[in-house]
Amino acid sequence: MARILEVRNLSVGYLSQTDEMCPAIVNVGFDIGPGEILGVLGESGSGKSTLAASILRLLPANGRVQQGIIRFEGRDVVQLDRRELENIRGRRIAMIDQEPSIVLHPTMQIRDQVGEILRRHERLPRRFRRERTGQILAELFPTESERIADSYPHELSGGQRQRVLIAQAIACRPSLIVADEPTASLDATTEREILAVLLSLRQKFGLAIILITHSPLLLAGVADRVLVLYAGRVVEIGPTTPVLASPLHPYTGALLQCLPQPLGRTDRGKRKTKLPVITGDSPGLISLSHGCRFEPRCPDRFETCRQREPPAVSVGNGRTVSCFCFGG
Amino acid sequence: MTGYRKLDKWLGVLVALHVVIACGGFFAPYDPVEQDREHSYVRPMRLHLVDRQGNIHVRPFFYPLRPSEGSVNQYDEDTGRPISLKFFTSGASYKLLGFLPVRLHLFRADGARIYLLGSDGYGRDQLSRILYGGQVSLLAGLLGAGITLSIGLGIGAVAGYYGGWRDDVLMRLAELFLALPWLYLLFALRAFLPLAVSPLEAFLLIVVVIATVGWARPARLVRGVVLSAKERDFVRAARGFGASDSYLFRRHVLPETSSVLLTQAAILIPQYVLAEMTLSFLGLGVPEPVASWGNLLANLQQYSVLMSYWWMYLPALAVAPFFMGYLGLAAALEERADSLKMGSWSREV
Repeated sequence: MARILEVRNLSVGYLSQTDEMCPAIVNVGFDIGPGEILGVLGESGSGKSTLAASILRLLPANGRVQQGIIRFEGRDVVQLDRRELENIRGRRIAMIDQEPSIVLHPTMQIRDQVGEILRRHERLPRRFRRERTGQILAELFPTESERIADSYPHELSGGQRQRVLIAQAIACRPSLIVADEPTASLDATTEREILAVLLSLRQKFGLAIILITHSPLLLAGVADRVLVLYAGRVVEIGPTTPVLASPLHPYTGALLQCLPQPLGRTDRGKRKTKLPVITGDSPGLISLSHGCRFEPRCPDRFETCRQREPPAVSVGNGRTVSCFCFGG
Repeated sequence: MTGYRKLDKWLGVLVALHVVIACGGFFAPYDPVEQDREHSYVRPMRLHLVDRQGNIHVRPFFYPLRPSEGSVNQYDEDTGRPISLKFFTSGASYKLLGFLPVRLHLFRADGARIYLLGSDGYGRDQLSRILYGGQVSLLAGLLGAGITLSIGLGIGAVAGYYGGWRDDVLMRLAELFLALPWLYLLFALRAFLPLAVSPLEAFLLIVVVIATVGWARPARLVRGVVLSAKERDFVRAARGFGASDSYLFRRHVLPETSSVLLTQAAILIPQYVLAEMTLSFLGLGVPEPVASWGNLLANLQQYSVLMSYWWMYLPALAVAPFFMGYLGLAAALEERADSLKMGSWSREV
């Protein structure tokens, strides 16, 4: 299968005030085929958002791609100049942000906020642009697209605003959408709706989606494959169902242990069960350890774990794990 | 909403005041440089509706003055010869707004000159001179503020948007200009130039000098606004959709500077009017016989005038409503900006 995005050996760091390089993601590699949904799972500070930003080269001013290749549709995004990047952003790769209430312009009508993206990337007469904008909004709002088009962001609900962001993202029919926690600010039912929207768009337009989240529950039934990030390293990658059902890496396992049990399955009435947690803290960016980043918190650690970082080991069925428990 | 009502009120006051000055030729009965040496330092005349005999007149009238016997600059009313004012009649030709030739005046008196606000040493009508002088002073303020804000916007925007060494250089330069005592700078600049320049040259000179000295403060304020505007989330999002620097600048950053610029304008205009007055008062500004608020007050440099003719202070009084208006406008603008910040612009958490 042809790959639309290949990431190889990507390391991204942030320059601190004292000009020290703090690595945020290290040697990350993965790829995505057309129409595939890749879930990126990780806790806060694991480098999820840095990964999302570096694909579009939207890192903050002190962010640096230290090494690696991000090959998108045959071209290395890392090497592109500013103009080429601006032509790709929004047209071939689009981003869906997690806070729709602050990324929409407060004093522009929704129609214009979607239309501006068409204006940027496609030469269309004003009348056609208006028509296209209407069609795009109709994809997301089948029944009330006209009313939404004439609204301002403050007149919409959180779910509607999130749909507007999706409308912006699909405006130019990109081949890849990077969704950075697209449901973080929504309640559970709206969350499901938005995910359903993403799935149906994938069906319709063959979109590939990188779905970044901290919640494993979100990915089940949505993502085709899952990539688990810990402290900027890929610890496990593989098809969603086996990874979530039988995690190989101790971190993935621990993470899934921490999910609250559905109410029906707890021993109700007997005693209050404590929510399981992974002991210890997630590590800072700068670490003096040469070993595995998860070693201090790992229940299965042994001597080698402290000496060097585990390489990625392929274990078959498209699954890869970075843990000495599986060789390396 | 009260913020808007306040804004409307002060804007209304200011527009009315400026219209009066802009159409000064219509309200002024005489040409501002027309002399009448027979009537120097006439005190403001009274208008009457009832004459000595107790008859009530429909039109206001005044008694013409004749010099008192044996004294200087003292006048007696010629009560036997009341002269009525004529309203909306044609008189001396003038250029409305500087280019429209018009003859219509608000009022006129035939047979004798009327000095509602007194006359100066050359017998020139104070009312006319205040109105025409206002045109010069206010134009200097408006032009100067316009130039200052353009420079400040340009420099502040570049410094804030691009940052780095440009920011450092421009802001250190701004601090240098803030530290300069502008009045002495003006003196120094004026000293370089020939003493006798035409009124127009002198006018342009002071406008340009005042304007170029004052850019630092608006530039710093604009820089601050630009700094925060460019970090806004919707700016970041727009960049993610392929927006270029120039687009972000035009569409997202510049509009946010408008409230700062408006408030600055409301503060700078009166400040620059005052600067023009200071220069003209000191004889460095617009020269005689052209009237400006500053050189009208220059008469007060003579001790005898200062002590004897109180109506020569009137130009200073004329300035007051303008300054009050601009002060009110600045306050109302600020209030509006605050209410906007607390209203629809707030982030929802």
